This record gives sequence, structure tokens and C-alpha cells, in this order.
Amino acid sequence: MPKRALWLIIIFTLLFILGINTGDLEYLLNLGNTICLSCIGVG
Amino acid sequence: MTRFRTLVQILVALGTNAYLLFPFGSVIYQGPLKAVCHPGLNCYSCPGALLSCPVGAVQNFMASLRFTMPGTWPHLGTLVVGYLGFIGTLVGRLPCGWLCPFGFIQDLLYKIPSPKFSLWKPLRYVKYAVLVVLVLVLPVWLVDASGLGHPWFCKLLCPAGTLEGALPLLLLKPSLWATVGFYFWNKLAILIIIVVLAILISRPFCRILCPLGAFYSLFTRMTLVQLEFIEGNCVDCGSCVRKCPTGVKPQEEFDSRECIMCLKCLDACQFRALSFGVRRLNHKPAKRVTSPL
Repeated sequence: MPKRALWLIIIFTLLFILGINTGDLEYLLNLGNTICLSCIGVG
Repeated sequence: MTRFRTLVQILVALGTNAYLLFPFGSVIYQGPLKAVCHPGLNCYSCPGALLSCPVGAVQNFMASLRFTMPGTWPHLGTLVVGYLGFIGTLVGRLPCGWLCPFGFIQDLLYKIPSPKFSLWKPLRYVKYAVLVVLVLVLPVWLVDASGLGHPWFCKLLCPAGTLEGALPLLLLKPSLWATVGFYFWNKLAILIIIVVLAILISRPFCRILCPLGAFYSLFTRMTLVQLEFIEGNCVDCGSCVRKCPTGVKPQEEFDSRECIMCLKCLDACQFRALSFGVRRLNHKPAKRVTSPL
């Protein structure tokens, strides 16, 4: 496995874990459960 | 391989948009799976969508950065960045070729018989500007009076949102028609242009505008898996170039950021000049400067 890829995998895994521990998961869940008005083009 | 890829595309598109209760209960799925992002571009406001859209999620995280209450931890969106970066490092743009529902729709549109055209190559750099400006900068920079930004890519550009989210929702909830304005008609016009272009040019949205493809492409030269070009076996027949949906010439632009790893070139090559596998340590790819093609 290339070293650079290995380091990136470690960094991104840590970022993912950081996100879980800072409440990103709940934020994402709330976000996904509401209709995105921007996607519809309201405004 | 092409048939297998099409099967995967169908299964992923249907499997991740499998919420069928929208005519009866909630108009969109509101369960725990929405905490997971789709690896491709798939509007989370699509009535059938089970997963969240990664581009929409990143923009909303960026848009809320300046809205953070004093004393609370800001949501940096590291969950989504880590998730997408992990996928990108492992397989690069493979999700574009195999998992993205909007990419699949473009593949289907390109099958419609019509004159076909190639893309003017400098346009491929526009997607990086879209990623930086509409996804990362404007949601943080342009905020309203309350300090909240907006997902400008979704608002101004995203044709997947119009096709998978806006149009079905407007059909299901006609009351929403009263609220649509300039942004909707602008996005509808963009969707129509993209659909027409996709009939004439292979995957125009992925190649010109997609910020997710732009993000994944940052990793294509360091991915765990790669396409390998075996120069000694190549007879310059050009069959791989003719089959490539993103206009890559493997013998000239090895490890191209445009490669979506659809592996059509692998199928097309009769001389085993291409192989697909795990990248070797310290492997330097073969590269040609000139080609008779």
C-alpha cells in the first residue's frame, strides 16, 4: 500500500471519528429529515 | 464488466432510493439512515432517498459555521469530509462510475441515438471552481442577518436536486408551487441544458460541474486501487479511448483525474495493455508524451 494513501486513510478516519464525537451525526440526521428548500428552488 | 457495472448502478440507484411510503406518510424518508451520506450525488429531498447527499451536507455544515452559539462546539463537518476522503483515498472517482445515481442517469441519456460530440477539455477545470466557490466559500461568506449561510450549489446549480427532489416534491405537494421563484426556474433551465448535453456529450455534468467528482479527483494519483497501463502491450489501436466516457487517453494521461474507473477501457483492450488492481508501493506509472492517435 502506498505510504501517502495509508497516511490519508488514517487522517480521514480520525476526522470521521472527530465528527461523530462532536455531534455531526445528529446534525446530519436532522438535516436529512427536513425538506431542502434550496434543492427545490424556493427563495 | 459493462453489464455488471450497469447492474450495480441500477441496484444502487434503486436501493438508495427505496422509500416507497411517500404517497401515504411523510413525503420524504425521516429515519436513521439519513445520518449516512450517499457516496454519489443523490438529493436527500428526493421522496425515495434513504441517505443524505454529501454535497448538501458539506454545504450545510459550512453554512452553519458562523451561526454557532457562544459556548457550543461548531459543527465542522469532519464526519462527511472524513467519509468522502476515506472513499476517495481508497478508490478515487470509482463512485462516480459505479455508484452515483445522477451519473447513471447521464449514462442512460447518452445511449439515446444522436450525433455525439467531445468536450472542450479546459471545461473540466470548472468543477474545481464550483467546489471552492459554491460549496466551500459562499456558504460561509454570504450569511443572512442571523449569521446563517445557504447551500449555494443546491440553490443555484444542482440538477440532481431539481430532477430527484424539486420536481417529484412539487408533484406530490402542489402547495409548494406558491413558493417557487427565480431559483427554481433557473435550476430547471440548467437541468434541461444538462439533459440535452448528456444526450450529445458523455457525462457533461460529471466532467464540467460536479463538485463531488472534483473532490474525489484530488485523490486519483494516490488511490489504493488503480488502472495500470502496460506500455509494452499497447498497439495504439485507440479502442480504449473510443470507449472512455470521460475522454481519457490512458496511454497519454495515465492516472487522469477524469478517470471514473468504469473499466470500459479494460473491456475494450484486446491486448491486455490495461489492468486494474492494488497500487504498488513506489510504482511510477508509464507515461507517453506523444501518440499516433
